[in-house]
Amino acid sequence: MTLAPGATERRAGAGPRPLIPALIDAATVEAIAGEAWIALVGEDELLVPVPGELPADTLSAWVDVVGPWTGSVVLTTGRQTAADLTRALLGRTAPELLDHEDVADAYGEIANVVGGNVKAALPGPSQLSLPAVGVAPAVRNPDDVCRVEVLWRGQPLVVSVQGALPPLPHPLSPHENPHPNGASL
Amino acid sequence: MRALVIDDSRAMRRIVSGALEGFGYETRQAAHGQEALDLLHDGWMPELCTIDWNMPVMDGLQFVSAVRANPAWRALTLMMVTSESEQSQIVRALAAGAHEYVIKPFTADALRDKLALLGLLPEEALL
Amino acid sequence: MTLTTTSFDWVRQLVHRESAIVLAPGKEYLVEARLLPIARSMGLPDVGRLVDSVRSRPSPESTRRIVEALTTNETSWFRDGDPFTALTSTVLPALLAARGPAERLQIWSAACSSGQEPYTIAMLLEDALPNASTRVSITATDLSREMVERTRAGRFSQLEVNRGLPAPMLVRHFTRAGSEWQVSPGLRRMVTAAECNLAAPLPPMGPFDVVYLRNVLIYFDLPTKQAILRRVRALLRPDGWLFLGAAETTLGVDDSWERVVVGRSSAYRPLKGA
Repeated sequence: MTLAPGATERRAGAGPRPLIPALIDAATVEAIAGEAWIALVGEDELLVPVPGELPADTLSAWVDVVGPWTGSVVLTTGRQTAADLTRALLGRTAPELLDHEDVADAYGEIANVVGGNVKAALPGPSQLSLPAVGVAPAVRNPDDVCRVEVLWRGQPLVVSVQGALPPLPHPLSPHENPHPNGASL
Repeated sequence: MRALVIDDSRAMRRIVSGALEGFGYETRQAAHGQEALDLLHDGWMPELCTIDWNMPVMDGLQFVSAVRANPAWRALTLMMVTSESEQSQIVRALAAGAHEYVIKPFTADALRDKLALLGLLPEEALL
Repeated sequence: MTLTTTSFDWVRQLVHRESAIVLAPGKEYLVEARLLPIARSMGLPDVGRLVDSVRSRPSPESTRRIVEALTTNETSWFRDGDPFTALTSTVLPALLAARGPAERLQIWSAACSSGQEPYTIAMLLEDALPNASTRVSITATDLSREMVERTRAGRFSQLEVNRGLPAPMLVRHFTRAGSEWQVSPGLRRMVTAAECNLAAPLPPMGPFDVVYLRNVLIYFDLPTKQAILRRVRALLRPDGWLFLGAAETTLGVDDSWERVVVGRSSAYRPLKGA
């Protein structure tokens, strides 16, 4: 997804762009993720709303939302936890040895389910991308993030709904523009 | 009864197929709409298709429209199974000819309830 | 805080006796998670205290809550849809023929839980009757204040609307609200929710044309079943209809009812002169 040069400036001219905290709250994101876990991972797989420290080796899965609000819905957890999640999702049909393909597919599908429901709770209509798995997209604007930290089977997992666009230039300092040539995601 | 499970996620195809087989269905799978159309053209005709929305090559809505454009496939029941859950999207899918709509995440019980509504639950799965 | 083995075993035996469902050892955390809201609604700090309280003072309603919380994930809308099909195919036409055009039809959903049953009835009537909101009123009652408040709010989770609610009815009668779905104002106006204990004398209500009393009687002993059916009968019009759960009957409990077959379902009607 690449934004045309000047996209943010045009949006800026059309009025303030909505930031995610004004559109969805952490409780809604947590409820959406909790339902996805109960239905897909297992009926007693509760997400506990307690923050934990992510390990050094993490893996993210995300989908992009493009519409009145544009950004990504990103799941991030330890690589081992992502593999455990894949096994839990596949249940009896899980292969003995998981390859990256298996994890990317299952973890990506969970991101798709959470992302689709987050999208439906935002002003629409919006487009949903196919899921991607790897290193999470960077946060572009710290004010355009809704972050939920939970524990699954005692392991930390973060759901981040984060804008894809850099902050608008502050109206009082028109010279400040960190991305004069547009931003590529 | 036979079902064609269309989803780009292998894990989700296994979950949906597993549930349907538990109700007594014989299932086959396709990773996108075109692959599903090819199966139908080859003459494998199920009673039910479960259809994801966002897929590469041919998405679920295009598949529904393609099936509805062919009078020979009128008896086929089309059920969306997707995380697309904006109200306007559900309306679009129903208008294009989908009979039912299951929103991901779903449980096997939710699939069973919808099949019961459609009269597509094999007798042994009714209890 | 953690559930004791004794308390867990008591819950396991209760659930097995009432539902034939086996809770495997190791599911303590599931019991905790599912029963904590019930404990809180009764003003108790944890599930251990809830179990102590119900063991020392057994109550069918608390038993029902515990068993339901552990055996059903979400109430289904049209699953076991025969009593609803019967409403529009047989009961409604009969009532419309028997009542004057200005007479309001009154329906009672007597154990409404989170509201699926009264709103299912409301949706069917709105789709079948052009002036349903002025023609029909639905009284929805439950023992639990929390359930009454949920019914009044008319908001349902994604998982709840996935359970046997036809998609065309979902988009016609609900709007998306955050992670949930909100029932339309028209349907909410048709439904009045109130707390009501079926095992005690009932508040002044009715008279009702139709009563849905499904999957409640199974939790009570014979004398209480008889008392409930007697009180319901006093609130039902002489040509009214009573729907029970598929596994319930008045036969052998109260002989002042006549069982009639309606489509694939059964209804019970007051016997004349009984």
